Amino acid sequence: METAAQGVTLGFIISGLVVGGLIGFVLQRGRFCMNTAFRDTIFIKDFTMFRAYLLALIIMIIGSNILNDMDIIHLKAQSFYPLANIIGGFIFGLGIVLAGGCGSGIVYRVGEGQMASWVAVLGFFLGIGATNSGVLKPVYDALRTVQVGPSGMTLMTVAGDTPTMKWIIIAVLCALLSIYVLMGKPFKVGKQKGFFWSVAAVLMGVLGVITFWASEHWGSPGFARGLNFTTPTGELFFTILTGDARSRFFPMYDLGMFKVTWAEFYIIGVPLGSYISARILKEFKWKIPPATEMLTVLGGSILMGFGAVCAGGCNVGQALTGFSTLSIGSIVATIFIILGNWTMVYFKFIKPMNED
Amino acid sequence: MGELSSKTPDQTLDVLGRVCPYPLVLSKKAVEKMSSGQLLKVLCDAPASAEDSIPKWAEKQGLKFESVKVAGSDSWELYIQKS
Repeated sequence: METAAQGVTLGFIISGLVVGGLIGFVLQRGRFCMNTAFRDTIFIKDFTMFRAYLLALIIMIIGSNILNDMDIIHLKAQSFYPLANIIGGFIFGLGIVLAGGCGSGIVYRVGEGQMASWVAVLGFFLGIGATNSGVLKPVYDALRTVQVGPSGMTLMTVAGDTPTMKWIIIAVLCALLSIYVLMGKPFKVGKQKGFFWSVAAVLMGVLGVITFWASEHWGSPGFARGLNFTTPTGELFFTILTGDARSRFFPMYDLGMFKVTWAEFYIIGVPLGSYISARILKEFKWKIPPATEMLTVLGGSILMGFGAVCAGGCNVGQALTGFSTLSIGSIVATIFIILGNWTMVYFKFIKPMNED
Repeated sequence: MGELSSKTPDQTLDVLGRVCPYPLVLSKKAVEKMSSGQLLKVLCDAPASAEDSIPKWAEKQGLKFESVKVAGSDSWELYIQKS
């Protein structure tokens, strides 16, 4: 992406930090972790967090498409790269189990004082950096050579590209997902210290929609980048290391001699928001896991970085934001993130238990 | 004192300092090795595990469960009885 000649404004920085801070706050308060959401379905047959994910997704699909049709934001669907979406998604799914958190989980836990997550964020960047412009780039390029369908292929491309068809698809999809969410009794809000799952999910969904708007308004005119964790993490560390965010898809702005993106500020805001929440709840505590576990986390997070870049995003960038555009590539990546998670949960947690 | 926390546990599991999901994984493993009626005490300081995942799992499994917040500290004593 060519550098925009524009400089960074104060509103650019503050809006990024505030949006990120709110997201971090809600993630921490609601313990909104999609690794847990996927894992618990097979590990303890609990579907609470999975329903929370689906509820946030429903809100983001409907909200973002309404704003898109009102010409307030402009969604852009990712293309379908079957090899990259499937292999990348699956590897990302394996990685989050080893790293003990998904793309958003590791970032918000930095603010809770969990050293494993600090390591995971660094490993995540190592994987992202190596895949974007380092030794893993040839693999990325090879996986991305296979593209199916026109660029930005969505469910509408297949079913009929009219606004009516789009809303029929959204209505059917969201109705089915809603039935499943309602089975979890979302209105029976229990009293607890953090947010009840349905409350956290609604807040995440609304923040996801707000981020679509804010990311376009401040950081990427004409294209709603939306909520994601992979590319911002990459851009932040590239700026720290080289002074240039090296964003391939999004406009960069001048901050003194540096080139930055809006998303870098919100990714900094996430651990700050979760830190504030954890402090208030007295849940902040420095925690250092055993050395071997730290190594597993490092390995897992490098897999996450590689997988997320190949798949076109992490559990948030693809499974929430990408899914909202109804991109077939995003939906396929989401399915394989979940399958990767289940595979690793089976080999790491379920199988060893049955053998003892 | 609750019904379970007043009893002497058959086994104590210390997962202090461990983060999600290990407290749950290790508790599940310990309970599965125990025989029916035995009581496990888990020392845990991971809020997400102590307040969410372990109670949810115990409820699903129909295990008797009791949680005691240790006064003056940010940890919990969790009592789980195998049914």
